[in-house]
Amino acid sequence: MSVFRAGADALLRPTLGRSLAWSSRALSTEASDVKPPVEADKAPSEIAPIPQKDVVTADVVSGAPAELRHRAVRIYQPTRNTMQSGGAKMERWRIDWDILPGGGRWENPLMGWASSADYMQGTRISFRSKEDAIHFAEKQGWDYYVQPPGAKNIPPKNYSENFVYKPHKLRIARTK
Amino acid sequence: MLRLVSAASKPSSAGRLSRVVCSNCSATIGRRTLASTSARSADITLTVDGKEVTVPQGSALIQACEAAGATIPRFCYHDRLAIAGNCRMCLVEVERSPKPVASCAMPAMPGSKVFTNTPLVHEAREGVMEFLLANHPLDCPICDQGGECDLQDQSMRYGSDRSRFHEVYGKRAVENKDLGPLVKTSMNRCIQCTRCVRFANEVAGVEDLGTTGRGNDLQIGMYVEKMMDSELSGNVVDLCPVGALTSKPYAFHARPWELKNTESVDVLDALGSNIRIDSRGVQVMRIQPRTNDAVNEEWISDKARYAYDGLKFQRLTTPLVKDGDRFVPATWEAALQAVADGLKRSGATGDEIQAVAGQLADTEALVALKDLVNRLGSDNTALDGGRGAAPPVAGVDVRANFLLNATIPGVERADAILLVGTNPRHEAAVLNSRIRKSWLHTGLEVGLIGARADTAYGYEYLGDGARALADFVAGKGTFAKTFQAAKRPLIIIGSAVAEQEDGPAVYNALAKFVEKNKERMLTPEWNGFAVLQRAASHAAAYEIGFVPSKHAAATRPKFVYLLNADEVDPAAISPDAFVVYQGHHGDLGAQLADVCLPAAAYTEKGMTWVNTEGRVQLGRAAVPPPGAAREDWKIIRALSEVLGVTLPYDDVLAVRDRMWELSPTLVRYDVTEPTSVGVARAGLGVLAEATKSTKVSGAPLARPIANFYQTDPISRASVTMAQCTRAFVRGEDYDDAARATEAAFG
Repeated sequence: MSVFRAGADALLRPTLGRSLAWSSRALSTEASDVKPPVEADKAPSEIAPIPQKDVVTADVVSGAPAELRHRAVRIYQPTRNTMQSGGAKMERWRIDWDILPGGGRWENPLMGWASSADYMQGTRISFRSKEDAIHFAEKQGWDYYVQPPGAKNIPPKNYSENFVYKPHKLRIARTK
Repeated sequence: MLRLVSAASKPSSAGRLSRVVCSNCSATIGRRTLASTSARSADITLTVDGKEVTVPQGSALIQACEAAGATIPRFCYHDRLAIAGNCRMCLVEVERSPKPVASCAMPAMPGSKVFTNTPLVHEAREGVMEFLLANHPLDCPICDQGGECDLQDQSMRYGSDRSRFHEVYGKRAVENKDLGPLVKTSMNRCIQCTRCVRFANEVAGVEDLGTTGRGNDLQIGMYVEKMMDSELSGNVVDLCPVGALTSKPYAFHARPWELKNTESVDVLDALGSNIRIDSRGVQVMRIQPRTNDAVNEEWISDKARYAYDGLKFQRLTTPLVKDGDRFVPATWEAALQAVADGLKRSGATGDEIQAVAGQLADTEALVALKDLVNRLGSDNTALDGGRGAAPPVAGVDVRANFLLNATIPGVERADAILLVGTNPRHEAAVLNSRIRKSWLHTGLEVGLIGARADTAYGYEYLGDGARALADFVAGKGTFAKTFQAAKRPLIIIGSAVAEQEDGPAVYNALAKFVEKNKERMLTPEWNGFAVLQRAASHAAAYEIGFVPSKHAAATRPKFVYLLNADEVDPAAISPDAFVVYQGHHGDLGAQLADVCLPAAAYTEKGMTWVNTEGRVQLGRAAVPPPGAAREDWKIIRALSEVLGVTLPYDDVLAVRDRMWELSPTLVRYDVTEPTSVGVARAGLGVLAEATKSTKVSGAPLARPIANFYQTDPISRASVTMAQCTRAFVRGEDYDDAARATEAAFG
């Protein structure tokens, strides 16, 4: 568990009950009626039950527009920029949004400034681990898609390979 | 809350360490060693900055340092190129070594103690940097590499703020070279890391890019005035750590920090190379490769990289309805109604309703269109180009019959490859570099049947058609004997073979040959029967069965729905047929149409693509589609409602559920699902049975791609690709005006 999540849990715990109570009063959603799954059927099953999520959706109180919940986020690890040899920011997991179809760009007729109807187009959030990112997305109540990172496969390299004897006909004339 | 998160998301080196170590272990299991007791290469342990790290034996010291999480500055070392050891930037201190050592050229030794962060190391690197900067122009404000320049980055730490060099003659001056319409050179900036030379030598197979002179006079060039003629030449722009080689079409267009990066998939060939689309506003500014060892390593072809400017021209932005002989812009409602009226007017019923899918159709659209056409009572779903209107020779019931079963990384494991009717250099340029890599570093032997081609590796030419194949199957010739002795033989069949007169005969001979040699060619680990597709949509189309039935193929269609289909033969469409074109470019298909429906191009929709090995990858939208254009499956869904056969999906997730019903592999991303030996054999049996009565005519197998740079509506609309065609295909002067301007700035 990351430092962040420990801290966040500690921060959230006192408010948890309050937000639940609030939601049941104001919206009378089923959130307050949710009971832990009753194990009425004790028959052994091949299918593992879906574990109860330990997060409470934050958008009940966050004030985020409801439309945001209809947009899936992608959780992925950005690959290295091939223009550079540095690998900074590669370890992070990033959340960002697909573009809003039809929410394109709009140009201010007076100044020519460009703006967009897509309120998430400039937002991207970085996390230390995939689990942190998933936790955050779940807490916000967003649908997410996790893109697994590709496996890296760089064989051991050796300077002496330049001078290794090849038994067959020479296949490369090095011009370096 | 957000601030908390970003503060907590510092990169940790532990993840990288474990990953590198593990992947290296798995990669070296197959290495042959002299020891007879164990085939496994040993791991060695050393200490880097007080941290113990284990790497496979034979690794360079720089790899060990990386595995330990220590960042080593470098210019000449690159993971995918041979080690040169000439920039000296990666100096580290090793215990009991009198001098700092270049960590890229030094093998990692067990038990050695390495320090990467000592005053000695810093001083040594500062010295190296001082020499590099002595001859480097102060171009940064006008240099295209600015913002992603290794020299700029590393001089922030190791550079001095003033120079001790005051040469009478000033800095070294080198003439710029003309490497063609893609790579812009500014040779004053070159630091002679020779990455471009090594790339051209090893990967691209351009063996005349090299160095001349020594010391201060060393220059990179082609020795004579010549362009760099390679399908992978754009990659030297990425490799160049400074601004000596930059992208010509992108010159002075944007800075890297202005760009939004979107990780997506390329569709201009069937490899599904991973790309990163860099966009600003509504424009794609450039396309970069995205590292994926399972597909494209770190390279992409020039078409994938530079055809993006075609996305700006010839676009269909609004629905068009033909009125007399001209197109009139219409609303979506009117256009869809026009399609419905046209269908009614044409009187098409059953198989007379034809859907034709082109190279750039995405999987969701294919599924939706097939569902729509089937609901209208037709089985006539065809592909454009070649013999797409007929049922395919290899059949679509078994996926092993139309996929590259050996997988793209698996091609490197083959020890004998027979290419039949294909030139991978044009049909899958990045795959070709893998074959070259294997050919250089192992004893791989390659044979070719079909039109002679300049592949980037040597091959034995067996003949031009089915007769030569018959000789090969009979075991005549030296290559046939090599092939018989090979442990992992591989036959790569070009997608064009099925479109030719002798196609069925070739398939028949090969299916029988594979069956005969099944103990080597069809094992649980190895499937040596591989079909190389060249169109991004075809593997997906076959996967979902987007092929006509025999009865449907014989019907003359009265209503034709072209989905991105631009390779259609206009003569094949009867003049009284009602034609609808759905696509993003006003190319051939749109000319034939009665109604044009504007759709999104691949950079504008996040859709599923299946590559030639059956790997399903999810693209991503980078920019919104222009004008009234919409995503393809949505158009088809809307049309279905107007036609009164509403398709049962309302969002893309529901479409993907439908895809899962058709083939569960279509929602398993980034993996290849191997076909079991039994099923693959059954598939080949069906193939051999279906083609058994064909006769060999002896006609040569023609090559499908004459001009690599223009194969689809996007690259045909691209100015850069037109320049490449002039420069590399026709050998003309590609851009007189630009050269005159450049000469003026000299």
